[in-house]
Amino acid sequence: MPIISVTNLLKKFDGHPVVNNISFKLEKGTCVALLGPNGAGKTTTLRMLSGLIRSNGGNITFEGLEKTADIRSEIGYLPQHPVFHNWMTGKEFLVYVAKLADLDKRTAAKEADRLLERVGISDAKNRRIGKYSGGMKQRLGIAQAMIHQPKLLILDEPVSALDPIGRREVLTLMEELKLETTLLFSTHILNDAEEVSDELLLMHKGDIVESGSLAEVRQKHKVNKIDLGFKEGFTGFEQEIKALPSVLNLEVDKNKISVIVTDTDIGREELLRLIQAKGWPLDKFVVGRATLEDLFMKVVQE
Amino acid sequence: MRQWITVFNREMLEYWRNFKWIWVPVIFILLGVTDPLSTYYLPQIIESVGGLPEDATFDIPTPPPADVLMMSLSQYSQLGVLVVALMSMGLISGERKSGAAELVLVKPIRYSTYVTAKWAATSVLVLLSLIVGLLASWYYTNLLFGEIAFGDLLLTLLFYSLWLFYVVSISILLNTMFKTPGLVGFLTILLVILTSIVTNIFDHILDWSPAQLSSYINIVLTEGAIPNELWGTTVVTVLLIVGLLTLSIYTFRAREMA
Amino acid sequence: MAELFETINWGLIAPIIVIQLILMVTALIDWARTENTNGPKMMWLFIILLLNIIGPILYFIFGRRND
Repeated sequence: MPIISVTNLLKKFDGHPVVNNISFKLEKGTCVALLGPNGAGKTTTLRMLSGLIRSNGGNITFEGLEKTADIRSEIGYLPQHPVFHNWMTGKEFLVYVAKLADLDKRTAAKEADRLLERVGISDAKNRRIGKYSGGMKQRLGIAQAMIHQPKLLILDEPVSALDPIGRREVLTLMEELKLETTLLFSTHILNDAEEVSDELLLMHKGDIVESGSLAEVRQKHKVNKIDLGFKEGFTGFEQEIKALPSVLNLEVDKNKISVIVTDTDIGREELLRLIQAKGWPLDKFVVGRATLEDLFMKVVQE
Repeated sequence: MRQWITVFNREMLEYWRNFKWIWVPVIFILLGVTDPLSTYYLPQIIESVGGLPEDATFDIPTPPPADVLMMSLSQYSQLGVLVVALMSMGLISGERKSGAAELVLVKPIRYSTYVTAKWAATSVLVLLSLIVGLLASWYYTNLLFGEIAFGDLLLTLLFYSLWLFYVVSISILLNTMFKTPGLVGFLTILLVILTSIVTNIFDHILDWSPAQLSSYINIVLTEGAIPNELWGTTVVTVLLIVGLLTLSIYTFRAREMA
Repeated sequence: MAELFETINWGLIAPIIVIQLILMVTALIDWARTENTNGPKMMWLFIILLLNIIGPILYFIFGRRND
């Protein structure tokens, strides 16, 4: 049973479609990454789902809700750049949004405390938000999105603006949250998607170009490519590699070589044997793994 | 209702934290007492500045108390309106510009709740500022020029506050239309001036324009009776405020937060 | 000018001076607590201190950054 079904969702800005009749379903309890380069229409899609902007067509159906009902009561949303009232304390802000979601005073205070604890900023709850770090603000943002126990949590680029430490904190938190609720988040970084999500929605120029589980997508768009990395520079490696029967083509970039082979299994064996025989200083050996760029190139070209 | 009170209370809290609860009433007090004091001391001031020929008899008649209170009202109609426009210009537009409104509007809150609660909070601030300002003006007028009945002061307050609520409502509407606080402030002042100009030009048909409130209050103060036109003006002003707010809610809903 | 000062009833003026002081003190407190102002922070200090009445008002309306 999908928790949310989107059919033919359309959004135009100045007559130009930014989201182009997309359809997809999210299953309950999954963690889905909406992946795509900047400008693909991810934010616009998420803002339509969370009720901040209206669509120019199509339907959003939420499980158990009438068509006319206010979808916002079931959705928690964290914008890409959340802006708080810096003069409020973290606790004040959470109690405020809790009451906006129509929780009574006591429940609001209780939930605020629980979530501050949950996202790990309860030490700072009586400090002004203006004094929070980026990671703390993002965690407060996640807390405000969860305050009314929404069935679907939508996070727009939750980690892209953070430094490595903040990023790690938030990714770990998301890892935990996905056990509690259905989670949809957007990102333009494949690694982040890989780390947390079970499912992928690939967006490109307003279209959903690919979807499915991470493994499925990977398998489907597997490229017959083997990436080699060496500890130091090299000379003459390319000629010897090119001479292998399974090698079709290769590309050299500093001390890395990308090899296109007819078959990854045969290619791997041949390459490893050659490298071992020659005693080359191998540093990295990656088989058939497409980067986001590869994936996009492939998907878009097809 | 709980959500409405929540937005209203948050707004009140903000007025404490940014000292609006202090500086707005203080400005209204200062505007209120400027005219009674300066009018009272005008002869001395002129004398001390000097430069008048010895034989020039400079006879400034002491104005009646009602005129002095009216001078304070005209301060509010000029500088008071300016202050109201400037302090309310970012009420909604500022939150939309910064993005702070996003976190509010993703919660299941009605647009009408947000708009009317904001209007009410600012109106309360303006009303209380007007009350203390007029009380100060009244106190000095009584002391220096002669008595004005407290009942007359109450009527003045009651009817004149409508004019300021009208200004707040214009500001709210513009707040929902534009994202730039400066533009909102500028257009608010422009629209208020326009109301006065149009009323002046079509004086003969616009008996009930809100811009007439001051002149009818003058009649109340000098003749001690409420002219019939004042009731009509009151009804029209209240209707205009309701209309402006309805339009605000409508534009706010139609306009996307994008 | 001295004559003017003699004729003024200070009982009338004192409340105004008190109010003006309240305005300036609140402006100064706010100025000290805030991190950013629109325009240079020091400039606003001078405006608050040197421009009577108008200075603190200008600060509250234009100087303080609302967030």
